Amino acid sequence: MGLKRNVSLTTALRYKGEGPYLAFILHRIGGVALFIFFSLYILILAGVDSANSIFSNWIFQIIILIFGLFHAINGLRITIMDLSPKMFAHYQKAISIEWVLYALLCGFILFVVLQNRFGG
Amino acid sequence: MNVTLKILRYNPEKDEKGHYETYSVEAEPTDRLLDLLEEIKGHQDGTLTFRRSCAHGVCGSDAMRINGSNKLACQVLIKNVGAKITIEPLLGLKVVKDLIVDMEPFFDNYKKVLPHLINESALPADGKERIQSQKERARFDDTTKCIMCAACTTSCPSFWGNDDFLGPAALVSAHRFVFDSRDEGASERLEVLSETFGVARCHTAFNCTSACPRDIKITQAIGELKMAMVTGKLD
Repeated sequence: MGLKRNVSLTTALRYKGEGPYLAFILHRIGGVALFIFFSLYILILAGVDSANSIFSNWIFQIIILIFGLFHAINGLRITIMDLSPKMFAHYQKAISIEWVLYALLCGFILFVVLQNRFGG
Repeated sequence: MNVTLKILRYNPEKDEKGHYETYSVEAEPTDRLLDLLEEIKGHQDGTLTFRRSCAHGVCGSDAMRINGSNKLACQVLIKNVGAKITIEPLLGLKVVKDLIVDMEPFFDNYKKVLPHLINESALPADGKERIQSQKERARFDDTTKCIMCAACTTSCPSFWGNDDFLGPAALVSAHRFVFDSRDEGASERLEVLSETFGVARCHTAFNCTSACPRDIKITQAIGELKMAMVTGKLD
């Protein structure tokens, strides 16, 4: 007798972890974003025209950029740490470096995308 | 100061699901949260149920979710958590009553990693202890500090998803023996860790490291186990 062990998504999201937990959550969202991106790309290759209109929408492109790029950079950090476990001791610094790198890259690409869209 | 405690209550004989109850307690900023729980149980509501034993951060009985993250109630000072405190049971284990969870799955996972010295070799010629250098001892010093409070395992998203995952505490125990120069069971343990719900389920969310009341570098220990599994080297 007792309450089930199930942890709902909202309960899990309410857990107060530190920076790496936020990265963990964003990494999952990024994975879903990339799945949508590649699925649409394959649909376009298969000749589905409606997929093309979503793919070329600048809002869609920005969402994929924000989450997909984070997934890539965070994945790189995890890989580097996995290959050198001593790096785990400096995880807070690694997360900070990751955010700086992400902000720079995301900002630059965002600038290019928006300039293409609104720059005349 | 007046402290308000919002506690997630659950009585299996009456309740279908948990509900919050609020208590008000007079406390000093230097009081521990455990003292306030004792005050409630002793003077306001004797039905409040929680585990406690040593009350000094050694036994690990009173791990619970305090303001959203896992901590030991006996280590938390009121001045560090403020006058409004929310207390909930650990996540990912069945709630037996109030703040008490069923620890059986946790200890089942612990047993899977063979948390004992394996050495079939004959004793040294003098029949005494197996000698170990300071450097060899230091290799696994950090992971000897574990008190099995389950704060790490129940903060792990992989464990929330599936309690077949060994979990950080069991992996810490595996690390403690895998890197012990006197132990001969490393290959047996690494085989257990390489299974589906073994070490690869760690996705480095670091919740375990920040929840550990003994400041064990848990994610690093798991990383070292991953590396040992891949390379077969124990240095």
